[in-house]
Order: sequence, then C-alpha cells, then structure tokens
Amino acid sequence: MSKMFKLSSKIQCDVLIVGAGGAGLRCAAHILEKRPGTKIIAVTKVSHPQKSHTSTAQGGLAAVDPQDRVDKPIYHMFDTWKGSDCMADQAVVRKIVDAAWEEIVWLENRGMHFTRDEEGRLSKRTFGGHTVRFGEASAFRAVFEADRTGKGIMDNVWGEALKGGVAFLDQALLTELLIQNDRCVGAVLFKEKTGEFVAVSAGATVLATGGCGQVFRVTTNCRQNTGDAHAVALQAGLPLMDMEAVQFHPTGIVGPGILASETLRSVGGILRNKDLEPFMARYAPKMKELAPRDLVARAIETEIREGRGILNPDHGIEHVWIDLRHLSDYVHSVQIPEVSGFFKQFMNLDPRTQLCPVRPSNHYQMGGIPTNACGEVQRSPDAVVSGLYAAGECGCASFHGFNRLGTNSILELITMGRFVGERVLQALSEAAGRLPADAGDRTYARFAGYLENGNEENIDQIREDMRRMMTENVGVFRTEEGLETAIRSLADSAERVRSAALRCRSLQMNQELVQRWELDNLLSVSMVIAQGALRRRESRGGHARVDFPQRRDEFNSHTLAYMTEFGKIRFASRSVDMSLFEAKAENHEKFGLIERKY
Amino acid sequence: MKESYSLVFNIKRFDPEKGKSWMQTYRIEAGRILRFTDVLRKINKELDPTLAWNSSCEHAQCGSCSVVINGRPMLACELLVENAVELFGTTVFTIEPIGVAPVLRDLVVDLEKAYDRVHRIRPFIIRPSQNPNQGQEYRISPRAMEGYLEATRCINCFCCATACMSSHRGFMGPNAVMASVVRIMDPREDATDERLQQLYSEEGVYRCHTSKACSHVCPKEIDVAHFVALAKEGEFS
Ligand SMILES: Cc1cc2nc3c(=O)[nH]c(=O)nc-3n(C[C@H](O)[C@H](O)[C@H](O)COP(=O)(O)OP(=O)(O)OC[C@H]3O[C@@H](n4cnc5c(N)ncnc54)[C@H](O)[C@@H]3O)c2cc1C
Ligand code: SF4
Ligand code: SF4
Repeated sequence: MSKMFKLSSKIQCDVLIVGAGGAGLRCAAHILEKRPGTKIIAVTKVSHPQKSHTSTAQGGLAAVDPQDRVDKPIYHMFDTWKGSDCMADQAVVRKIVDAAWEEIVWLENRGMHFTRDEEGRLSKRTFGGHTVRFGEASAFRAVFEADRTGKGIMDNVWGEALKGGVAFLDQALLTELLIQNDRCVGAVLFKEKTGEFVAVSAGATVLATGGCGQVFRVTTNCRQNTGDAHAVALQAGLPLMDMEAVQFHPTGIVGPGILASETLRSVGGILRNKDLEPFMARYAPKMKELAPRDLVARAIETEIREGRGILNPDHGIEHVWIDLRHLSDYVHSVQIPEVSGFFKQFMNLDPRTQLCPVRPSNHYQMGGIPTNACGEVQRSPDAVVSGLYAAGECGCASFHGFNRLGTNSILELITMGRFVGERVLQALSEAAGRLPADAGDRTYARFAGYLENGNEENIDQIREDMRRMMTENVGVFRTEEGLETAIRSLADSAERVRSAALRCRSLQMNQELVQRWELDNLLSVSMVIAQGALRRRESRGGHARVDFPQRRDEFNSHTLAYMTEFGKIRFASRSVDMSLFEAKAENHEKFGLIERKY
Repeated sequence: MKESYSLVFNIKRFDPEKGKSWMQTYRIEAGRILRFTDVLRKINKELDPTLAWNSSCEHAQCGSCSVVINGRPMLACELLVENAVELFGTTVFTIEPIGVAPVLRDLVVDLEKAYDRVHRIRPFIIRPSQNPNQGQEYRISPRAMEGYLEATRCINCFCCATACMSSHRGFMGPNAVMASVVRIMDPREDATDERLQQLYSEEGVYRCHTSKACSHVCPKEIDVAHFVALAKEGEFS
C-alpha cells in the first residue's frame, strides 16, 4: 500500500465525541459543566458544528411544564408509548419524559431564545399525537423558538461547548472504531481537508452522528446523512436495532423533499386531494390533520395510489395539496414564516393565494445503534461495549419504538446527550486502553481500493438508482415481492460500485472519494433496512407491509441485525421493556399492548 | 413560462496539490426550478465528478453553500434557475468561492477560519445575570425581545462578511458584531462592558463604513447594518 496510507498522528483525549450536532454537544456541555478541564474532542463531518442537521429542526420540543395544571408527564409517556406502536422501552420513555422540563430550563438559562407569551413565560403549542388525559384532547406541550427550534438548540449547545473549551475537528470522518476485548479505546478519523488519517485514543467515545435519510430519494435529511456511523458499527461487529422502522414525513415539499413542518397542520393547514376534498376526515375522524405522521403519510400515499393525486410536471412526482390560503396574515408571518416561505423560495409560489404541493418524504430513522437507558452501546441484548456510547438519532435506546411523535426527537437528543454525559463522568476514572497496532488498517484497505483503477461505472448514477429503488420498494408501503427485489438490487449495486473508478485520485479535500465511501455506507444501511423489513411480517408504526396489514404480537420485540459481510445478516432480538405496565401502578393498563387508533 | 434553460457556468477552480487555480466553463441544461446546488450536482454527475462544492441542508437553514455568483455572495441552495436568469438578466454565471477564508478546493473554503471571528466574540452568555426565578426560566416579555430577535435568525453564512470590504482588513465583520449585539441586548447577559470594549476595539465597529452592503446581500433578509449601527452610535453605552 502506498505511503499515503499511514497515521499522520495519534491524539489522546478523555472523551471523543463523533458528531457535533445537538446530541453530541449537549453531552459535551454537560461533561464540561460538571468536570471543567475535561479534554474533549468533538468531530463533525460538516464544515462547522453549527451547520449540523439539528439546526434545521423547525417545529418544537415536547416537555411537560410542572406548572401546567392540565398536562402531566404520564400523559406524555402514554402518547409516546401509543405512538411507538408498543415498541418503545418504557424505562427509557419514563426517564426522558421526567427529565424533559429540566432540559428546557437548562437551554433557556443558557440563552436559547424561546418564543414567549405575554407574561414572558415560554409559549407552547400542540403537535400531532400529543394529548392530555390519555387521548382526550390535544396537549399544549411543545415549546419552540418560532419555526427554528433546532437552530436555537444548536446555537446554544455549540456556544456552551465552545465556552467549556471543546476542541473541534471540522470536516473529519469517523471511519473505524477501535474495539479491543469488548472495550472501545477510540477511533480512526479521516481529515477531509488535509487528507490525513489520525487515530484518537479516548477514555470514552460517543457516537452522535445523526440520521441516514440519504438512503431514500425524497428525503428531508441533509447531504451528509449517509449512515456512516451505522456502517462503521456494523463493520466493528456491532448490531443495529429496528432499522426497518423508518419514518416518512407526510408533507415533504415536492421536488427537493424539504420538510413542510407539522406546524402547518397544527396551525390549521388542510390536506386536499385533486378533487380538493379534505380527505383526512376519512382516515382519522377525530384527529384529522393532527393524527401522527405515519397515519397521515399513508393517507396521502393511498390518495395518490388510488388516483386522487396530482402530477407535478417539472419533477414528475405525484403529490396532494396543503391548503394554507384561509390562514390569517398573522399566522403566515408570525407562526410559520420560514416554512411558508419555503414554498415561495423553492417552488416559486405563494401559499397565501395558491395551493402547495406536498408528498411523503423520508424523515427520520427510529432505529439505530442499540443502547441501554444510559446510552451505553450494546453488543448483544445483555452486554455493552465499555467506553462506547450513542445518543441522538444514530442511537436507539428506543424512546420512539416504531414511530416517533413530532417534537420528541430533539427532546431525545438533549436528554440522552446529557444522560450519556452523566454516564461518561462516572466511567472516566477507568483507564483508557492502548491503541491497537493495526489501527487504521481497515480504513486504508477501503480507501486504497477506491483509488485503484476501475471501469466507467458512474458513482452518482449508482447512488441515484439505489435511492429511487429504496423509495419505491422500501418506502411508505412495503411488500414481500418489493423487498426481495430491493435486496437483489442492492447486491447488484454493491457489485457495480466495486469496480467504479474515481477521476480525482488525491486524498486531500476529495469530494468524490468521500462520496464513494458514503455510498458503501448507504448500501450497507439499505441492506439492513430491507432485510429487516422483509423479516418483519407485520405492520407496525412506520413499517407498513401491504401483505401483512396488522400488528402481530409474535413480532413484539426489537430486531437486532449484525452484518460484518455485505448482505449476510445475522438476526437476533431484544425484548421490549414494559416496566410501566408491570409496575401495576395507577393507569398501568394504559401501557399494555394497546391499540394504536386516533 | 420556459421549462428548461441552457446555462453556462464559469467556475473558479483550485487544485490544492498543484497550488493552481483556473476558470473552467461548463455548459448544462437545467429545469426552471432547480436550485443551483442541484445544477452543481448535475455537473458532477454528467460532466465532471471532480468539481468540489459545499452544502448540507440545502434549504437555506445552515449556510454552508455560500458562493459568489456574478459578483454577489449568495446561498447556492436557494437560487432557482429561473430566478437567477431574471435577477442577473443572463444565462451565463461566474461562480467563485467566498473570500473570507482560504480556499480548500474549487468552491470549498475553510469555514472554520471564517468562524474564528465569530468565536472571538464568544457566541454564548459570558456571565449570566441574576435570575429572580431560580430554577425556572427567566421571564422576558416578547416586547423586550423584539429589538434583537431578528438578529438571532443569522445562520453565519458569511455572505455579509464577504460583501463587506472592511471585514477583510482586520474587521471582525458584520455577523460577528451582530452576534455580540444580540447578547448585549439579551437581559440574561451581564458581561455587557466586556462586549462593548471588544466592539470598540481595533477590530470593532469603527471599521464599518455604513455602506450597508451587508444588509443588501443577507439571504435571511436581516438588516445587519442596523445592528452594526446600533453599536457604532453608542446605543448601549
Ligand atoms: C428538516 C427537519 C426538521 C425536523 N424538525 C424536528 C422538530 O421540529 N422536532 C423534533 O423533535 N425533531 C425534528 N427533526 C428531527 C431532528 O432534528 C433530528 O433527529 C436531530 O436533529 C438529530 O440530531 P443529532 O444530534 O442526532 O444529529 P445531527 O444534528 O444530524 O448531528 C450529527 C453530527 O454528526 C456529524 N457526522 C455525521 N457523520 C459523521 C462521520 N462519519 N464522522 C464524523 N462526524 C459525522 C455531522 O456532521 C453532525 O455534526 C427534524 C429533522 C429534519 C431533517
Ligand atoms: S454597513 Fe458596515 S458592516 Fe455592513 S457591509 Fe458596510 S461596512 Fe460592512
Ligand atoms: S447576517 Fe445574514 S448574511 Fe450575514 S452571516 Fe448572518 S445570515 Fe449570513
């Protein structure tokens, strides 16, 4: 192997945080508040931590205000459990819901610019699936910062991390986890800007790399969400959990797939089909537009499949309308300025006077790297990898089960980020292990392979074909036939891409090289999603099988998938924690295997 | 309405290994509501996979894709083809990297270097003021926030800093000034004096010539110059 493949340096730190988004930096901020001077390195793939995808979250953040006389944590737990289609882990649900308001106060006290009411308190709004008294009425539970709540969080945790003295490494990629004797001792990173490989040894390594939505063609996720850490974990012999549980947001803006937030529906936007019928009344008579996202997504998809959609000529994509024309100027300019502006900006139309085209768009990965309630990564249902943690969208303690409620994700990031911080602080006294002698070898083998001569296969084309294929066969509706097609097609793509050639052969700031590596990650993650979906012969939350439309109790457990060799998956399962039900306290029956009907 | 346009992109390129820069011309057909980022991707796929450019969210929320198009700093992700043709009255576009940080390759700059200026003003609450509601949120009336809320929408895309000639010569730049002004106006911040001292230092607001180029180019339509002016006019001392 050529001499460019070597470690340019070895760095040592207490905590390595891979992913400087909301989850990663909340974790960093906690550690530094409690233990100033801790040496933390935070790595991000984007050009600066503030550019992380958390910045784009719009709608809000669910948390029960203890001063609220109507709302109670138990209702939030119930909504989350019901929304999850009985797949969330109840111990995790309880822990996060109970910690929620503390986190809001933490964010506010450190400078987040929440929207306020006349008395100067934090304003709250309703969101799909959030109710009081176990489904009786909509809950005002989401605090928010206009329609840029995620940006508020990101600015804040970035600021706090900076204040605490985190060392940032921008535009660097995690390519390899270093695990020895079931202990993670650090990781190998590829510094994109200089083309160098570095090994970092760390007492604790925290994975917080976000989602993997680029698997699908129409997605709300950013360009960098290619499932890198998911793939790296698989390569290290670790499992992924519940990857078939993918959320499709009902209202992506046709074309780019940009998210038109839930808020549009909560402030009164109405979905209409080509006959202008407000069709949600047929699917969710009580909640209508405010029903949880998977129900709304399937309703739209059904309208389209049954011929009541509209074809957008520019993009060749079918959609329905969201009608915002009846909303007041105040709503447009104060409550939904950014989102309403998207239609003007990206479609050149005016939502005050024109109908806006939307369709289901991939949005969120409920599954991920399995962890316990403290965020420690599991290598099997009853064993953790010490020194390795995961939080945020890439992790899966299972707060969301098979369907996430709106506003529950950014809640999860900041709470789980803190929990991981707490656990790391307890464990930091354990000595960091030594870096293995072969650190980097697996990375070099891959990268060298990419730079070797190949044929004329076009990487962009393979990626585009794959993403379209995934949207078609592994999207909102799934069938056995479609999934088998998908698995065969992924194997083909993996074969095709093996011999693709790169035009730019440098290691330094080589976008083509990085995209080539990302494509491998996308293919791995897609394979795990497709095979998990095939194996789960039922419908549950975001996973909808046309050929098995009912939820089935025999599938009442989390999927664990191991894949060290592409396409060869070993499955195991993890049971669902039902401690709220089993505690037999008041209202425990609400936490049994309840029906998910709205 | 035209469905598709034949575009000419003249892109400034830079190869870090050879230390060489040059202009390269690409001719490409693009649909009317494609974003410039979509067009760059199309160039990668159909013409030249080696062309490097930066983006992330691609819907004007992260500020990663700022480039200079026909002399004007803009976000490539929010410029639709038909709007660009109308705005500039041409189908020929010159695209260059923003000038506030060293170029890494082609259109990609080392944004970390540009951010140094923002880091220096300490974009967080330096010293929290006394909160009468210990353990709860500060009570801040919406009216008290009105004065600075607009400025909190800034995404640090550095378009304003690129347009502001002064920021190349030791000026911290409009977005950094504004980020500090936000905290000066925020009742939760006590370290106002330190902040003002910095704003009135060598790298501070007196370098601004009140040209308002910053407000003019801001993709978030923030009146950046207004916040710079507040500090300059001694509004807070
Ligand atoms: C458009 C949109 C709107 C949303 N709105 C809401 C909402 O209103 N409410 C809600 O609750 N949720 C919302 N969500 C979901 C929520 O925003 C995300 O789930 C959440 O922000 C993910 O945060 P994170 O910290 O896990 O990851 P991110 O913020 O995505 O950060 C991941 C970090 O990891 C880095 N990284 C990735 N790969 C690598 C690698 N290989 N090496 C090194 N670093 C890497 C990235 O650069 C980044 O710094 C929304 C999501 C989208 C897309
Ligand atoms: S007004 Fe001041 S800060 Fe704004 S561009 Fe002009 S010189 Fe720069
Ligand atoms: S003020 Fe506007 S132009 Fe300047 S960095 Fe912020 S968003 Fe960009």
